[in-house]
Amino acid sequence: MAALLELTDVTVRFGGLVAVDGVSLTVSAGEICAVIGPNGAGKTTLFNAVSGNVAINGGRILFQGEEIHGLTPHQISTKGVRRTFQNGGLFPHLTALENVLVGLHARVDSDILGLLLGTSAAKRAESAATARARELLDLMDIGHVADHLASDLSGGQQRILEIVRALATEPPLLLLDEPAVGLAPHMRSQLVAIIRRLASERGIGILLIEHAIELVMSVADRVIVLNYGKKVADAPPAQVRADKAVLEAYLGHA
Amino acid sequence: MLAVLPQLIVSGIATGMLYALIALSVTVGYRATTVVNFGHGDLVMAGAYATFVFVGSGLPFAPALILALASLFLFGVLTQRVFMQPIINGPHLSLAMMALAIGYAVRGGARLEWGSEVVILGRPYDQGAFMVGSVVLTMDDLVISGFVVALLLTLAIVFHITPIGRLIQAVFQSQRGAALVGLNVHAFHGMMWGAGAALGAAGGVLLGLLVPLSPDLGVYTLIRGFAAMTLGGFGSPFGAVVGGIVLGMMEKLLGFYVSTVFIDITAYLVTILVLLIRPSGLFGQRATVRI
Repeated sequence: MAALLELTDVTVRFGGLVAVDGVSLTVSAGEICAVIGPNGAGKTTLFNAVSGNVAINGGRILFQGEEIHGLTPHQISTKGVRRTFQNGGLFPHLTALENVLVGLHARVDSDILGLLLGTSAAKRAESAATARARELLDLMDIGHVADHLASDLSGGQQRILEIVRALATEPPLLLLDEPAVGLAPHMRSQLVAIIRRLASERGIGILLIEHAIELVMSVADRVIVLNYGKKVADAPPAQVRADKAVLEAYLGHA
Repeated sequence: MLAVLPQLIVSGIATGMLYALIALSVTVGYRATTVVNFGHGDLVMAGAYATFVFVGSGLPFAPALILALASLFLFGVLTQRVFMQPIINGPHLSLAMMALAIGYAVRGGARLEWGSEVVILGRPYDQGAFMVGSVVLTMDDLVISGFVVALLLTLAIVFHITPIGRLIQAVFQSQRGAALVGLNVHAFHGMMWGAGAALGAAGGVLLGLLVPLSPDLGVYTLIRGFAAMTLGGFGSPFGAVVGGIVLGMMEKLLGFYVSTVFIDITAYLVTILVLLIRPSGLFGQRATVRI
């Protein structure tokens, strides 16, 4: 299978600090890859590099065979790489439904005039988008809070909402930054089911950062371990669990 | 003395509508880019002169006005993209200075062309007045208030009800989130800067109905706009409008009951007192503004 996302020797420096040091990895369509590592290992920086939020100092990033490093975040998003943030990516004073709608509308900038003038084509598109957004919210079990302000949702609901918004446009690749933080146990298992379904049914490639090791082990097809910005392991969960380098990264020298 | 009160309030509201429009026009650019346009007054002035030029070229007033607003919108978009965007991540002070410099350049252009002439824009309607009870309503009051109210209602509808308004709210609330869902935040900055310029230009044209044009027209107005923003709460669109109207009334009331001097200094007094006593203003959330 051709790789959806391909990183080759990606390096990101902040002054003298090498946050990401020559990391190569691939994510295929329908594959779930988890990135783990101790705090400060460079996981979030790696994500930011892929989504265009930080510039890379070396290497290259291909998405569907096309170079995306050097593009702006909105261009990368438009190409079909969507991500969630650990916090602060939602529009707090819009409703959950509106948050999703904004995600859908951003895709149709060509029809902005139609939206402004209220043409019938634009109205049809609008009601179709609304129906679709409600359907997605229902699907993810937050349909009952669709008309609540995003800032009034619980932490777990906000996480799910961010994922729904990212999914609304059916991106080929989804980056999830610690999706399980602050989720109650039943929400966690729901999240795992959702992530699995996205990968297997829709063929979406998923790259996720997560601290909850049990979640990673149960959901990921492949686990990539970073330590001090370097990739120290890249293997199926069972193998990573037994890997000496991984144990060292987490526990220090035994 | 009290018999004059209704008249003062009515005239104050009409003047205040003008301040409200100017304050709102600065707020639009500020909310989108977090940069206060200190050169905004010169765009207000440019709007009045542009209308004057188009009318002089033989166009009727309404098309001339629309053309002037469109020109200022384009000017705003272009200057933001060409001069502001490249340094948008720099210190706020650099951005504020850049905005000021653009304003000075515009004013310099106006001085070059019309520096020593008195220029009258004139009214596209007959000057008249109506009596409502004991209150005199001038045509100027009606035209200005009517125009501003219609504009504000339109903006409120666009902002709160249409999908476009939702996109604008989204960018106001989280620029990172907006980029995340694929909105071109840079282009948005330019559009909002242009929208602010066009709104300010509309204010300049309304002002030009009342007073002769001069290259310094905008400076006088911008102080009122800032005072209105401070009073209403810096950055709040609703606050800008309410602040403008209240400021207009205060000028008239203080000017009549205390001393005519107050007509000119109320804006400064309001700014100083609000900053000392309640820095967040009537409806503001943030107490401080980075410049």
